[in-house]
Amino acid sequence: MEGFALAYMGAGIGLGLAVIGAGLGIGRLAAGLAEGIARQPSAVAQLTGAVNLPLFLLEGVAILAEVFALLIVLLK
Amino acid sequence: MQQVQEQAAEAAKEGFNAGETIIEHVANSGLDHPLIHLPTIGGIDFSVTKHVFMLWLVATLVFVVVTVVVRRYIRQDRLVPSGFMNALETVVEFIRDSVVRPSVGDKWTMTWTPLLLTLFAFILTANAIGMIPIFELLGLLNHSFLHASDDSFLGRLLHGGATATSNFNVTAALAVVSFFAIIVAGSKAHGAVQHWKNLVPHGVSPFLAVALIPIEILGMLVRPFALTMRLAANMTGGHIAILAILSFVFIFAEMAGQYVGMGIGLAFSVPLAVAISALEIIVILVQAYVFTLLTAVFIGMAIHAHH
Repeated sequence: MEGFALAYMGAGIGLGLAVIGAGLGIGRLAAGLAEGIARQPSAVAQLTGAVNLPLFLLEGVAILAEVFALLIVLLK
Repeated sequence: MQQVQEQAAEAAKEGFNAGETIIEHVANSGLDHPLIHLPTIGGIDFSVTKHVFMLWLVATLVFVVVTVVVRRYIRQDRLVPSGFMNALETVVEFIRDSVVRPSVGDKWTMTWTPLLLTLFAFILTANAIGMIPIFELLGLLNHSFLHASDDSFLGRLLHGGATATSNFNVTAALAVVSFFAIIVAGSKAHGAVQHWKNLVPHGVSPFLAVALIPIEILGMLVRPFALTMRLAANMTGGHIAILAILSFVFIFAEMAGQYVGMGIGLAFSVPLAVAISALEIIVILVQAYVFTLLTAVFIGMAIHAHH
């Protein structure tokens, strides 16, 4: 029973940490993009293209963390 | 049949169980009641479950619609696109010019566009069909008028989720396709041996190169794994969020009476579920785009390996 509770706790804390990390990362990307567009409004397409790929990679890492948190609970 | 009745009686005794209801709506239909029973060959059960059925439906739909529209377009005297062909051409041009060409390069664009377009069309259609509540409406119809038994085809059709791409096996198969596409792309551009040599950057000391080999092999395997998890988890996550918010209605109705439940539904659950459904429509488009874009970028990385 105790191990069960600890697994839940670990999964919850891990989920929160993953969300914090992903949020910080997306925030930095969005801030950089906004700044870049403000400096060089004509390069919107290029800037968006350059931001897209790391954004999706970051999202992938966060989703992986969440899947593993789910697995911790499901597999105990 | 008796077992089902017993289970139903137990469920009614325990009250509303949000977790079980959500899992039943999201998960594939179980192997104990598939749509069509097929024999087990070599330890693998070939029975057709709901996700397999949806997979075939989506594949047939994409194949028939695209083939019919393109054939009709080619048979015209003047090649002026109209109606659905306009939309199709926009999608094809978008994928070719802003996804494949920048990542793969001019020389290989026409080699890899067909594969990536197929992936995009299939994933987009499979995702989108999951958002259309066909089977929920069928379930309502069944509940009120048809009363199909649990053992009939329709009865089995109502068990389990309808988004084929929310099943990890489906997305894993798609990721395996892109895994081999990356290897084939590298081998076609550099030759079979040079592609594997390209995994380690040129000009590093031999000791570092030896240390890099396991990392590069791991990276090669992690990419399709991340593709698998990203698509499936996104497609499952949205449905779980919508169902969890809607299940507040029943939880509150059980706790504090039906009028409180209705109030929660009107004031909180339904508006939020509508908003999340709108977000889901964006997620559907973005995830189909991301899968295609990342496959294109990885293929491009194999072709333009650092020298």
